[in-house]
Amino acid sequence: MRSVYVAGIGITTFGRLEYPLAEIAAYPAMMAMKDAGLTDVEQVYVANMGGGRINHQTGLASAVVDTLSLTPAGAEVIENGPASGASALKQGVLAVGSGMYDVVLVTGAERMREVNNLDATDFIATLTHPLSEYVYGVTLPAHAAMFTRLYMAKYGVTERHLAMVAVKNQNQAMANEFAHLQQNITIEGILDSPEAMTNNPYVAEPLRFFDCCPVSDGGACLMLVSEDAMAGVDRPWVRLAGVGQATDSHAVAERADPTELTAVRLAAERSFAMAGCGPADVDVAELHDAFTILEIAESEEAGFFGKGEGHLALEQGETALGGSLPINVSGGLKGRGHPVGATGIAQAHEIVTQLRHEAGARQVDDAAIGFTCNFGGFGNNVVCLTFVRER
Amino acid sequence: MTVERRIYAYRCRSCGTAHYPFRMRCRGCGNLEFFEFDAEPLPTAGTLLTFTHVHNLPAEYEVERLGLGVVELEGGMRVTGQIDIDRPELGMPVSGSVEVVRHEPYEDYWGLVFREG
Repeated sequence: MRSVYVAGIGITTFGRLEYPLAEIAAYPAMMAMKDAGLTDVEQVYVANMGGGRINHQTGLASAVVDTLSLTPAGAEVIENGPASGASALKQGVLAVGSGMYDVVLVTGAERMREVNNLDATDFIATLTHPLSEYVYGVTLPAHAAMFTRLYMAKYGVTERHLAMVAVKNQNQAMANEFAHLQQNITIEGILDSPEAMTNNPYVAEPLRFFDCCPVSDGGACLMLVSEDAMAGVDRPWVRLAGVGQATDSHAVAERADPTELTAVRLAAERSFAMAGCGPADVDVAELHDAFTILEIAESEEAGFFGKGEGHLALEQGETALGGSLPINVSGGLKGRGHPVGATGIAQAHEIVTQLRHEAGARQVDDAAIGFTCNFGGFGNNVVCLTFVRER
Repeated sequence: MTVERRIYAYRCRSCGTAHYPFRMRCRGCGNLEFFEFDAEPLPTAGTLLTFTHVHNLPAEYEVERLGLGVVELEGGMRVTGQIDIDRPELGMPVSGSVEVVRHEPYEDYWGLVFREG
């Protein structure tokens, strides 16, 4: 397979966006073309989960390719739940790596705030097993809460550890101009003070409001190109070197060990194997912290810390900016926001920014290898990516 | 006459692996014949593996909070269900009955509700 490089990147502000879904996908694609100085695009992949359901827009890729005046380029929507973004990047790697195309845009977009909070939660809950989960009222926060309770019992994770992830990531988002949440929080305010239960009520016990990512609109794009095309691009050479994906049972209750996220472990292993490196080589990681517990659990399954030791690394500050492995310096899903179809690409956008050494106040020193984990369903379908700075 | 409502597991006729929920192909032996499963009622007694009370509910639930749990049934199969238990604890013995778990306009959905004991 040919090497695949990131020639250009783009992102919208995350939060509430008052323009159409196709434009949320097209705006970062414009930025990526400008960034790379390339416009001869042969293929556009659009990562999106809910356009048909919540925005009354189907055939989104056709709308986006025409909005960008890129017709007659190829165009498809890639839908893989909250892992749509990294799945679309995987398709981009296959398209360029195979030799079929030299210049591909992979853009992701979601416009979730067009509906109210209950409808957005229900939209995401349609990921769950229809007969054995959805009918009971199971939501993604409910899955995460039941997982958290087991993790607490088995490994000694406490609500304080969860709050530490929330504070770390949400405050880190203050250094990211594109992040949805722009408000500092403290352990005092969300856990210790008499007002904490008012500020930070339970969503699904033991998870509270500040353990959950916000519902966001947003878009992000990477332009993926072949080595030949990259030769004409005046940007640092960042290679999308590893793609790993794994699936797991649709009904979460069926899994042999309910405290393991097997698909994360396998997807990470496959991504590292393809890239020819390992977790110890990673300088900066973006993990799918839709719920605070997931950052801790994924940091273990990806191989950065031993099983059951992720919260100890967090306590030691190892996952903070300046630590041995900074995680979610962009703010993560928790601080940057989680427009589901765009998230996997937004994670990649942050890693490329870091590997280009253009992240400003949140820059990880000398970052050369970066990693993303994009988590679909409740670990039903996980895609991990490894990026390497070459020159 | 009352009809007892049950939730069914699907046992592969080739290798005996039981599945819940239904899947088209046995994950034990990978048999490619269609419908080679026998339906058998799930046991109702088990232990509570994990649980939550959900506060931001889908719109059709008109309650303040909803109890959900994962139960390991006698025989080892695990299911998700609703729980109607004030103070749930990990490992607590529970027993399930089949009740309406979701109301939608013109449609009731039935499923397992677990209580202590």
